[in-house]
Amino acid sequence: MSTTTGTAAFPRPSEIATPEGCEGWEEMYPYYATFHEDRREADEGRLWFWNSMHFPDPMPAFDVVAIDGPYYALANWQNRVFAIPPAMGIDYRIVNGYVYITPNAVTDPDLIAERAGYFQERAGYYFANWDRLYARWQEKMDALIAEITALEVPSLDKYERDEVAFEDRDTSFYRVLDGWSRTLRMHERMWQHHMEFLLLGYGAYLTFSDFVKAALPEVPEQHIAQMVAGIDVLLFRPDTELRRLARLARDSGLDAHFTSGADPQTVVRTLAESEDGKAWLAELEAIKDPWFNMGSGDGFYHYHRAWFDEPALPFSAISGYIDALADGRDIERPTEQLAAERERLAEEYGSLLDADARATFDKLLGLSRLVFPYVEEHKFYCEYWFQSRFFNKVREFGGLLAEHGFLADSEDVFQLSRHEVAQALEELCLTWAHGGPARGPHHWPPIVERRRALLERLRAWTPPPALGTMPSEAINDPISVMLWGITPERLRSWAAAMDGDGTTLSGAAASPGVAEGLARVVRDVHDITDVLDGEILVSTVTSPAWAPIFSKIKAAVTDIGGIMSHAAIVCREYGIPAVVGTGRATVEIKTGQRLRVDGNTGVVTILDSEPAA
Amino acid sequence: MTPIVRELADLRAGDTELFGGKSTSLGELIAAGINVPPGFAISTDAFTLFLTVDELGERIADALAQLNPADVGAVQRASDVIAEAMRATDVPETLRAEVSRAYRTLGEQAGVDEAAVAVRSSARGEDSAAATFAGQQDSYLWVSGVDDVCEAIRACWISLYSPMAITYRARLAAGDGAPAMGVTVQLMVDAEVSGVMFTCSPVTGDPSIVSVNASWGLGLAVVGGEVTPDEFAISKVTGEILRQTIGDKAVEYVHTPGELGARPAPTPAERRQISSLDVERLAGLLAAAKAIERHFGSRQDIEWAVARSGTFPSNLYMLQSRPVTATPTAGSDAVQDRKGADAMALVLGTFGVKRAGG
Repeated sequence: MSTTTGTAAFPRPSEIATPEGCEGWEEMYPYYATFHEDRREADEGRLWFWNSMHFPDPMPAFDVVAIDGPYYALANWQNRVFAIPPAMGIDYRIVNGYVYITPNAVTDPDLIAERAGYFQERAGYYFANWDRLYARWQEKMDALIAEITALEVPSLDKYERDEVAFEDRDTSFYRVLDGWSRTLRMHERMWQHHMEFLLLGYGAYLTFSDFVKAALPEVPEQHIAQMVAGIDVLLFRPDTELRRLARLARDSGLDAHFTSGADPQTVVRTLAESEDGKAWLAELEAIKDPWFNMGSGDGFYHYHRAWFDEPALPFSAISGYIDALADGRDIERPTEQLAAERERLAEEYGSLLDADARATFDKLLGLSRLVFPYVEEHKFYCEYWFQSRFFNKVREFGGLLAEHGFLADSEDVFQLSRHEVAQALEELCLTWAHGGPARGPHHWPPIVERRRALLERLRAWTPPPALGTMPSEAINDPISVMLWGITPERLRSWAAAMDGDGTTLSGAAASPGVAEGLARVVRDVHDITDVLDGEILVSTVTSPAWAPIFSKIKAAVTDIGGIMSHAAIVCREYGIPAVVGTGRATVEIKTGQRLRVDGNTGVVTILDSEPAA
Repeated sequence: MTPIVRELADLRAGDTELFGGKSTSLGELIAAGINVPPGFAISTDAFTLFLTVDELGERIADALAQLNPADVGAVQRASDVIAEAMRATDVPETLRAEVSRAYRTLGEQAGVDEAAVAVRSSARGEDSAAATFAGQQDSYLWVSGVDDVCEAIRACWISLYSPMAITYRARLAAGDGAPAMGVTVQLMVDAEVSGVMFTCSPVTGDPSIVSVNASWGLGLAVVGGEVTPDEFAISKVTGEILRQTIGDKAVEYVHTPGELGARPAPTPAERRQISSLDVERLAGLLAAAKAIERHFGSRQDIEWAVARSGTFPSNLYMLQSRPVTATPTAGSDAVQDRKGADAMALVLGTFGVKRAGG
């Protein structure tokens, strides 16, 4: 069938040149994370695709934990616990700082049959006991978040505290080294929890989605997601709280403090000067934990900060909502209406089927709705809440190293791998304890500087969407389809785009409607505050954390992303068109170019060859 | 005896034997509250009566006797002989009187003398299939005056003996009895836009959408495949327009006052490539499609038109509806395979576990 079968549509890993001035980039990464002569033959025969959904930026050395953590855990559950019959786990390589992944397939029919036995028994147990196991999961996450919050990074003082001398408490060197190791272990445990339900949750949804598409081929994907998605879910709460605060500010006559682009610190300072302002600030404080654990990114990079640490996004959203209220617009999420619409869609689509098909439809819809709270909520618990605490804990260790001259600044800790941080802390503990001269202050700062410069240069490199050889058989890895939307069709369209004229891009139609406007390309999460009213957001991936800017934009286009992602539903709720999974939008489109986004057909057209002046 | 001319609004599915499929389905549409151009129907008995005039029936039977349907020349000659004989035979006076009365009533309803009407055949059973097979468009448009209406009725009857229809019936070996045909007479709709819609996807059979084809002018251009129509897929569930393709509608059929019928004319440039339907009209079509499908309880293939005069929605007319036959049932194999399966077994399938017997 496939015309691209066996052809070299994508570059071979060995053909990828190191960008000028980036020589030696490999020093940032584990020895096992790069393409190497040792396994060249095996690696070049496989198809590797850029995981721009989770890793759109070149990886800082420390942030490799956010590759290893998820991939240990995913593969462990997938391959060794549930034994998903045809698929073992995700293998990865880093090329010029960017993460490429490939699924490891099981091809031996006997082995597939053997695995099926384990899978049926174990997955069956999870589905049969879902509510109980998911309740247990939430307890485990609560405990883990409490534990990392409580973990104390000791200071290394001239003398130990009295408790060590008189009350048998641990010494500081031990507490530093143990604390570091526990910080890493908790991060790994979080990923263990994260992946426990992920495959089964997505799998149940995908089964329903496939059935609906077989029975009613014309049903838009987003209607399928709407029939399943929860209404009152955790991920919407942070945004709901911002709307409430906006209403409160307006009702208390505090509107004037929230001018567009105002610095949050200034806003807080001026509010504190009045009684009403103080009352508003008290309300803000009351909702911050947990809702300000919402982040601007996806939790995979240390610089994806929580609203706690970077309040510019929530403050800009609040002023946006205040402006909307002043214009007499309705800013409420019509939850009752959304809930009624969800039921109506399910009822009407169901009623188009004959009795037997309807019975299957109802069963699969029921199962999807059972698992969906996990699908939606794990992101808040894991990627936002836990990850922001984790990265901040790492910052505290960085602060300790900086205090003793091992680093110039606490942020520099992210330029070291987790093992290098352990080494630096070990030397710090040793030299602090014995008082002799330390090498660290000479050793680490030049490394940090060099890597910072490398990352800056690697950022300018454009990774191809895939590397290696298109498999002779269609990639049909259920996990790649489920988590990344990597279908044979998608791969073919990427291959075609490699030599396309670059004026149109196609992806999945995620939210209907057609819009024209100027593009705002956001490759770095920090740039999302630059997005202006009426622009079209073009990003590698949209995250539910960005919900507040959806009230500003006209349409959204992403490089990668599935229709079941919450982002697609957010777009629908805001009634703006979205096309996801274009593969190359952030590469082909420049900020300021005029675009037409057709959310009905999934086509994005670049109308100007050059950005408007 | 049943009257040989009746108002469309009085007809129901049970009258098909006597009045043919087209007239009775229009009666059903009216009963369902659908906006249909008013009109009346001529029964098949009228045709039978016509055959008794001057032994016309016997003469036709003679012309067809011993005819070898494979002999194209012979069939053509027989067809010509029959048409000549029918044209030379006057419409029975009883029929003429009833048509005249019904036509006058229709004119009073429309508020005009000599109302322009469309005259179409309303065949039944195999004759209907024969007409379809033969690609007959026995529509006589902008007919006015009792004389011309009667002539158009006779022309419909003559079409039963076109060479194609004769051959088709002979092949079916159904030609024992004389064929029978009803006729439909309706007030003319001078269409600004017209087209066809299916209450399912014509490609996949998916019943969740209404698929609309539309073009400027009278429906002949769409039905005859003479233009690339605008295509719309509308969700029955949400009313959203899921897809639309605006066609290049090079010609439109228009009527010139004083002439019979309609003629193709180049579509003015400014209208060729713009959408022929707006959101409001599409919503009206969707509502009509859903109501018609609900009424008949099966997928329908519907012809419709928006009149130049009048205001929406009262100028949106349904001209014909018949069951969709030649369309696949959505996802048949893939769905059949999964019906009744345990939900868990289906989830396992998603993860690559083959089901027993699947």
